[in-house]
Amino acid sequence: MLNVRNLSISYGSKTAVDRVSFELGQGEVIGLLGANGAGKSSAIAGILGIQKSTFEELTLLGRSPIAHRREVFQQVGVQFQETNFPDRLTVQEACLQWASLYRETADVNELLHYFGLAGHENQAVNSLSGGERQRLAVLLALIHNPKLVFLDELTTGLDTKARRLLWRRLLTMKKAGLSIVLTSHYMDEVEVLCDRVLILKHGQTVFQGTVSDAIGTSSKPTLEDAYLEYSGEREEDWDEIANHVS
Amino acid sequence: MKSLITLARIEGRLVWKGMDIVLFGICFPVLLASLFGYLLSRDASSGASNFQLSFAAVTTIGVLATGVMGLPLTIADYRHRQILKRFQVTPVSPVYLVMAQALVQLSAALVSFTAVVTVYHVFFDFRLPGSWPVFLLTYGLVTLAMYSLGMLIGGLAPNQKAANLWSTLAYFTMLLFSGATIPYEVMPRWVQWLMDVLPLAHGIHLLKHAIMGEPWGQGGLHAAVLIGCILIGAGGTAKFFKWR
Repeated sequence: MLNVRNLSISYGSKTAVDRVSFELGQGEVIGLLGANGAGKSSAIAGILGIQKSTFEELTLLGRSPIAHRREVFQQVGVQFQETNFPDRLTVQEACLQWASLYRETADVNELLHYFGLAGHENQAVNSLSGGERQRLAVLLALIHNPKLVFLDELTTGLDTKARRLLWRRLLTMKKAGLSIVLTSHYMDEVEVLCDRVLILKHGQTVFQGTVSDAIGTSSKPTLEDAYLEYSGEREEDWDEIANHVS
Repeated sequence: MKSLITLARIEGRLVWKGMDIVLFGICFPVLLASLFGYLLSRDASSGASNFQLSFAAVTTIGVLATGVMGLPLTIADYRHRQILKRFQVTPVSPVYLVMAQALVQLSAALVSFTAVVTVYHVFFDFRLPGSWPVFLLTYGLVTLAMYSLGMLIGGLAPNQKAANLWSTLAYFTMLLFSGATIPYEVMPRWVQWLMDVLPLAHGIHLLKHAIMGEPWGQGGLHAAVLIGCILIGAGGTAKFFKWR
């Protein structure tokens, strides 16, 4: 589904992503974890071919997203961390517009219903609440029944129920063969959804493996603690900051 | 094709709901055209033919406003707000996105054209000496050329500031110095030389020939400049379109 070997991205002299490699099979879910600025979104942009990068191998569904952009994105969906819409665009129009870009699409009404947006069809997207807009962004990423989907901070801004509903949907689609690359700051979510995680720190891979490996190889009891250890955000440092402030 | 129509329909609704297109694409060109028609049709010294020739220029104001202002500025705005970035990770061709927007702007240009023709006909008793089909064909070529330049600005401008600068520059220089508002004939000789570089000046020369029903004369050169604009504009946009 996805092959990335030694992908690096630099902004001027700063290396944002440093030789990241991973593979993803059908129906697999990988979580890219890391602090803000660790390079998660940059890595995704590089993998999608929209950010200049160097790599030894980069294929989505067996093809280069740069040389075969139009074929690749017929079967790949993307939800960016920030999703902007033109002024005055309604929910219905956003769906129609997106659906028109693909050869085949899912049942849009069913999706609207599932994502709790039924009844909002004629509302301007920019007047939706943050959570509703986020749900619309995920909906649009799934509108063409992709085989591979990128979800960057998929549940940021969602309430508990919406989060659980989205997890359930994704797990069903995963079972049906959907492969997912996601980023998240919520470790409960990562544990529910991800088969594997890749932890980035300053653009470098500090851990790659299954969730249970991540916990096992660290000396910590939970994924959240293990993640903090790997990403170098030790709680001891926070005590220092806290003491310093008080 | 299905996506082009859907995109154009949705864009059309969005753009037409804003006042910009009505104000700059229709009201302003029609107002300016009326003013020129009024002044030239009354000024006996400028002669009837100058008034007739002004028709070429005033009908292109709407094309300029929509093609080299409205079109590139909307695309640059979408780029600035990272809306194009979302389209980049779909199968859509950038040509479709630009064409959808061009169709919307063209609809305003058409309204503008019809209004100017009506004003000239009804209030100033304008009659076209040449043939309408030849004029319309020439007008179509000029429109295509202007829109191609607009596409190029919108497609390649790295940011909004650059798009603003280029489209304003293109708009005002062509508005003022190609004979669209101030007739070429009344300009001093050295300005006329400057004007000869502007693509729209060539378009207006061609239109004037068409209005008077004259043979093209030097028309080959003028047409070549316009076709050059179309090739460079469309080719450049398709090849070098900037999503971000």
